[in-house]
Amino acid sequence: MDYKYIEQLIERYFQAETTLQEEQILRTFFAQAEEELPGSLAVYAPLFATLAEKETLGDDFDKRMLQMTGNDTPADTVTVKARTIKLTDRLRPLFKAAAVVAILLTLGQAINQSLQAVDEWVEPAQYAEVPGEQQGDGENIALNGVTIDSATLIGQVQLSDSLKSDTLSLQY
Amino acid sequence: MKKLTFQTDVLPLKDELYRLALRITLNTAEAEDVVQETMLKVWNRREQWDTIGSMEAFCLTICRNMALDRMKRADTQNQPLEASHEAVDTSYASNPEEQAVQRDRVRLVRQLMTQLPEKQRTCMQLRDVEGKPYKDIAAIMGITEQQVKVNIFRARQAIKQKFIESEQYGL
Repeated sequence: MDYKYIEQLIERYFQAETTLQEEQILRTFFAQAEEELPGSLAVYAPLFATLAEKETLGDDFDKRMLQMTGNDTPADTVTVKARTIKLTDRLRPLFKAAAVVAILLTLGQAINQSLQAVDEWVEPAQYAEVPGEQQGDGENIALNGVTIDSATLIGQVQLSDSLKSDTLSLQY
Repeated sequence: MKKLTFQTDVLPLKDELYRLALRITLNTAEAEDVVQETMLKVWNRREQWDTIGSMEAFCLTICRNMALDRMKRADTQNQPLEASHEAVDTSYASNPEEQAVQRDRVRLVRQLMTQLPEKQRTCMQLRDVEGKPYKDIAAIMGITEQQVKVNIFRARQAIKQKFIESEQYGL
């Protein structure tokens, strides 16, 4: 096996010119059994063996740390308080929905009624203005004569009242 | 951004922090204390977590400063640091097995490393054990990348020198 590459790497390692990847190659290389290494390289085995050694803390440290920081309840279990739910609580969403529907219906009804009220109220009002206008024209007789007829017309067509009464008066 | 939690983002760093503290304090009990103090400090600063670029670098920086503080305090109390550290057994005749020799050699390298100045030791630890790029080490230690490189170069050279010297005595 050719160890030139490794020897080169070691040379550059001591010159602090190796990259992280190259240093990883060295550590991996020296992780193999020492007997397989040629003498010149075996010298460095203890160094890389030392660098590969990773001391660790015990699990009891975790427990202690979690207790000290108040994190000792595992993240995935959440403490839940038991609580009795009454029938009214359970139906509360339904009540809410019902209330909303009731409000909507009431509002709709109110709007509908007010609209109808406006319809019923506006038309006689328009009509009520008619005699007032006509009175100034001095055509009272003609108008009075067609009162019944024009009353029947109200619901059907919005006629120009003055024109209508003029033609009517002409007929008379 | 993902919400950081103590259990998933801080606690798993414990071994890395422990090794760094151990390289500085050279004492397992002290190192464990340092890690504990570091984690408590990080936990108490949890409101700032969102503003931290790297939780790992943040923890390592705090850990190193805490360990250095302890060393300073120990210095003023005039406690011999070496007393807590096991001396290397140089009587190789008492370890006839090849495996034991290998273990002793590792301990010898460890001993060589502990004799390095703290900066070189910390740089070497973060680079050669934890596999960190120069940039990260510079950020953790608050020095320039160039200084990190110089420290690593000196550390490796010193190790090589001492190591070769020891080898020549017929290990």
